[in-house]
Amino acid sequence: MRMSLYVPGTSPLHRTGARWKLAALLLCGVAVFLTTSVAVLGPAAAVALALLLSVRAPQEQLVRQLRGPLLILAAVVAVAALTESVHAALVVGLRLVVLLLSALSVTLTTRTSELQEVLELVLRPLDRAGLVNASAVALAVSLALRFIPEVFRQFQEIREAQAARGLRGSPLALVVPLVIRVLRSAEDIAAAIDARCYPPARSGHLDRQERPSGKATG
Amino acid sequence: MTARTRPLMSTQDIVLISLFCAIIVALGLIPPVNIAIVPVPITLQTLGVMLAGAVLGPVRGACACALVVLLTVLGLPVLAGGRGGLGVIPGPTGGYLLGWIPGAYVTGLLVKTFAMRVSRRAPQLAAYFAACVAGGLVVVYAIGIPWTAVSTGLGMGKAAVGALYFAVGDTLKAAAAAAVAHNVRRSYPIEPR
Repeated sequence: MRMSLYVPGTSPLHRTGARWKLAALLLCGVAVFLTTSVAVLGPAAAVALALLLSVRAPQEQLVRQLRGPLLILAAVVAVAALTESVHAALVVGLRLVVLLLSALSVTLTTRTSELQEVLELVLRPLDRAGLVNASAVALAVSLALRFIPEVFRQFQEIREAQAARGLRGSPLALVVPLVIRVLRSAEDIAAAIDARCYPPARSGHLDRQERPSGKATG
Repeated sequence: MTARTRPLMSTQDIVLISLFCAIIVALGLIPPVNIAIVPVPITLQTLGVMLAGAVLGPVRGACACALVVLLTVLGLPVLAGGRGGLGVIPGPTGGYLLGWIPGAYVTGLLVKTFAMRVSRRAPQLAAYFAACVAGGLVVVYAIGIPWTAVSTGLGMGKAAVGALYFAVGDTLKAAAAAAVAHNVRRSYPIEPR
């Protein structure tokens, strides 16, 4: 199972810093809702498409990411065209195309670790204000990344065990043991993390530079 | 605020949140079930959302859903069908994803304050079901529908008609989530938080 949508490459978008891409995306997201002019949105959509093509992502990846949203988009445009006007349908369609394609190109060209760095940058002031605990968030993210394949493996195990006993898996019979297994393991994992003194207790020191990496499950 | 001196969350809380986030993602990896009446594949991902609130409680349940949203934004294919990335949020369905967070919170709150106080089995199951419908359906749709309306420029009415389409599947999932949460609580009770 592939755990990231990142596509390695050397396109201009790959070389741009993650925070600039995200800032541009945010601006772009606001901008497309400020205009209803097809003369602006049309070229913007073309630029977004060109950006996405410049990434040179594998075709199956693009198809998987775009198929669902494009079906919804087609339905939305059809409804807008039938109930309002062709102009309204065009505006809606182009807006969503700009957003969808530009966001996808950022996702495809940015490593998860780079996005995590931006996340830390955003969290730092919130952490200082005492609103969130940045190291707890970082720990939760890395734990979740570690647990997703693990939980899925356990799910398949339960399904196989039930199939071996001739039970046809109803979602109910599968999910109950999965949740109980997972809850049971939580105590051990927490004890293991506490034994390694991670995350460090929050102290008054805000100048702590060293942030331990999230590899606490080894 | 006591946040400075005492951690808001224990390690165990963080682990439970991460594990439940992983359950929600894993439920999205399971091949969708097709139900004959509704020509839309039903994935079990929203079942996980209701479960997060009902099993972990309001705060941790909402945090587990927030973590799924965060992983989506970080560009991981954690949504049903291997979707993910920043584009999900501004899209027509982005509101439903964000709605998971308050949805799980409300489910958890209702389970904690009402469903767990009922002692007889049938009314308790009904209370669990009501909590899952209120959180996983009403709250999620209350955010998802206006989001779709704004994102697409269509009126609220049309966005609501589109949502009705999924309401059948989500009601079924609320029933399943209620039964699962009830069973889990009987065999492995953890205190909701």
